[in-house]
Amino acid sequence: MSGIEAEGLEKRFGERTAVTGMGFSVAAGEVFGLLGPNGAGKTTTVRMLTGLLTPSAGRASVFGVDVATGGDALRRSVGLLTEQPGLYDRLTGRENLRFFMKLNEVDERTAWPRAQAYLERFGLAGREDEPCGGYSKGMRQKLAIIRALVHEPKVIFLDEPTSGLDPEAARTVRDAVAELAQEGRTIILCSHNLAEVERLCRRVAVVKGRLLAQGPISELRREGSALELHVEGEAAVHGPTVRAVPHVEGVLCEGGRMRVMLREPSAGADVISALVHGGARVQSAVRTGRPLEEIYLELVQGRAAAPAGD
Amino acid sequence: MAFSWKRMQAVFWKDTLDLLKNRGLLLSMLVLPLVLVVVPTGVVYAYVINPDEPSLRLMARFYDPQLPSTVNAAQFLVERSLADWFSLYLLMPVFVPVLISSQSVAGEKERRTLEPLLASPVTAAELLAGKSLTSLVPAMLVTVGAFAALCVTVNVACWPLFRAPLLPNRMWLFGIFVVAPLFAFFGNAVAVVVSARVGEARMAQQISGVLMLPLIGLFGSQVAGYLQAGTQYYAVLAGVVGALDVVLVWVGIRLFDRERLVSRWV
Repeated sequence: MSGIEAEGLEKRFGERTAVTGMGFSVAAGEVFGLLGPNGAGKTTTVRMLTGLLTPSAGRASVFGVDVATGGDALRRSVGLLTEQPGLYDRLTGRENLRFFMKLNEVDERTAWPRAQAYLERFGLAGREDEPCGGYSKGMRQKLAIIRALVHEPKVIFLDEPTSGLDPEAARTVRDAVAELAQEGRTIILCSHNLAEVERLCRRVAVVKGRLLAQGPISELRREGSALELHVEGEAAVHGPTVRAVPHVEGVLCEGGRMRVMLREPSAGADVISALVHGGARVQSAVRTGRPLEEIYLELVQGRAAAPAGD
Repeated sequence: MAFSWKRMQAVFWKDTLDLLKNRGLLLSMLVLPLVLVVVPTGVVYAYVINPDEPSLRLMARFYDPQLPSTVNAAQFLVERSLADWFSLYLLMPVFVPVLISSQSVAGEKERRTLEPLLASPVTAAELLAGKSLTSLVPAMLVTVGAFAALCVTVNVACWPLFRAPLLPNRMWLFGIFVVAPLFAFFGNAVAVVVSARVGEARMAQQISGVLMLPLIGLFGSQVAGYLQAGTQYYAVLAGVVGALDVVLVWVGIRLFDRERLVSRWV
């Protein structure tokens, strides 16, 4: 079942086009990553999909509800974690959650035990009657995640959930998101933290004002490939030999280790052959995918042609 | 989408809780009523404790050069002072909503709570209604409470001179229960419209305060003797302010458009 379908989404603010040609699909129960640098249009895309902004062109639906006309039904279907948690500091955690239960017109008698279960899972139990102004950044972000869940939305949008958090807080938030993913929830994760996306998502879309690429991370990583080699002695000695092989894009050497980036995966055999003929004693050779970071940077810096869609 | 009373009540509930926990705002809300009870009581008491003081007739003649000598100057000055303070009293229901609404509307932007709020099913009308109630209810409570206190203190202070209660009278009752709610609505609507356009609560308070200056000018003119205000005058003023309230509510709902707020402030 398709959870989210977006096709040719565009958003203009006056003369400025923030997003154009945005299209992707997310299956129900999938954790999907929306990757892109700051200002790439991730938040604008999320705002269109959550009914905060009306698309200037294109169409999209969230679990069958059209984002342009869905209004109330759409907002009831989605939960949104904004980059800033946006909590009412003078109110307690419990009051913050109750407010959003009331706004969503859910029965507090059934919603509160659910919220309490999340408070326990996210390590906030016992702190719910303290004013949110005294919470740490990580606690605030986790409470904001629970707030996005109080009405049992069909899909959760997490916009930069670990932005501005210290490593420990970021980890607890990431663990919380991982737990939600294990529950089989549909999650859209916007981030420029590649390690986070790689850990939590199976499929991603890379955007920069428009869609640059989308697909399973494993497939994107196979776009081109790399060869990890161990040679006897200093690998750097054999660098010029390897660079001369056709379809070699780059070579990194450190001690006896050599990492060769290939434009064509089939060039791996030529690299090994060149090394052997050049007198290198190759101890091991392993073909690896390229790191997501490398692919991401190529895409957003426009160094590569956009790979095909899903 | 149909107006949901539950969602409106939810906004009212949250904003009232927030207000009750905001000690600074509560204190600043209480300063004006305190002044408007203590000062006029002190002024009329000053006339009452020494009613035969010859300078009182001089003062009374300043207000009314034709004042007959049979009229008690102290009684005249007490009644005249209370009429003047009445106009200042009507400033209270205007300024209390300005203080609260600026915080609750522009405050949502300042605290970055607007986006999660707008991502919920609440509509612009529900949000405006809930927030307006949060400022109108305390404004009227403060106004009526201060008026009740003033009635007690003035009547106690003036009893030796009049031997009868002075307040409430017809003009004060009309002012507190008819004009004051309309003025409170006006102060709230101005603050809401201004808050929808600016990003900080303090700036919203300052601009709203400046927009209230014509109203203060009217009251000032009355105190200075340029305007002879009575129940009829206040009825006309209430009609004008009521019409302005309708216009401001229409503007407020237009400015509270989700798309407009998100693209401008979030």
